[in-house]
Amino acid sequence: MSDPKRPSLTSGVCYRDPKAALTWLEAAFGFEPVMVVVNADGTIGHSEMRFGDGLIYVGREWDEDHKSPASLGGKNTQSINVRLDEGMDAHCERARAAGAVITREPVDQFYGDRTYVAVDPEGHIWSFSQTIQVMTTEEMAEAGDREIRTRL
Amino acid sequence: MADPSRTFIPTLYYRDPIAAIRWLEQAFGFELNALVTDNQGRVGHSEMSYRGAVLSVHPEFSSPELLGPAQLKSPLSLAGASNQFVRVAVESDIDAHCERAREAGAHITAEPADQFYGERIYRALDPEGHIWVFAQPTQTLTFEEMEKATGLKFATSLDEVGS
Repeated sequence: MSDPKRPSLTSGVCYRDPKAALTWLEAAFGFEPVMVVVNADGTIGHSEMRFGDGLIYVGREWDEDHKSPASLGGKNTQSINVRLDEGMDAHCERARAAGAVITREPVDQFYGDRTYVAVDPEGHIWSFSQTIQVMTTEEMAEAGDREIRTRL
Repeated sequence: MADPSRTFIPTLYYRDPIAAIRWLEQAFGFELNALVTDNQGRVGHSEMSYRGAVLSVHPEFSSPELLGPAQLKSPLSLAGASNQFVRVAVESDIDAHCERAREAGAHITAEPADQFYGERIYRALDPEGHIWVFAQPTQTLTFEEMEKATGLKFATSLDEVGS
């Protein structure tokens, strides 16, 4: 927890059953557990998973404000976009085989990414992106008929 | 040391994403990298950064076609509940960071305090109720030292703890 090389930003993801989530996220998405803190009663107090150079926290529903989507009628206030270097379609098939609900099949986007969207067993939404074409901001704006700027 | 990992990019949903971007700049010192708006001025996508890492601020969204029954909502629309939070690694002077956030209207739910795991942290809610944890490393501890301090078991896998 005091590793000075922790990412500047880390998402903490809440589950009713964090133990099951740790197992499922490894099987479906290939995330690797690197820290599991166990309470005296055997429940998980805190856990961390790595994927590439990224880190997430997997935890429980700590209080009334930290809830699994399973307790929120499937609603998400935050979700995570995961960058893949390669192998997106195979990644999607692995996730599907593990029970992920694929709400958007892999598809090429106008901004140069190939993406898919999966929902995990407790309802967290995960989007996966892989760069297939490096584009400038101008090219993206042109391709998508949108305005892109860096100030409000 | 900041690790500008971009493997996991948190996306936060707001009722008013423009106000949120402005507030996150002012209160927490995030920087806007890119703001994508459609031809009616609505936010389609945005990217903000903090010490090299990025997150996105998006409007609320639902689409049975793209998301099935799942919906993307601000905590404001869920009586303050959140399914995820963001932990921010602050390099130095976390107490000043907290004061800046408070001045901008953040609701500080836990004042800066030293933790057994070698970090000083504070917790805050932004104006729409997203949960933020700010952490500054104070010392580096081993699993053994943390176990001794807490009586908890620290492991690197479920197998190791016999689960």
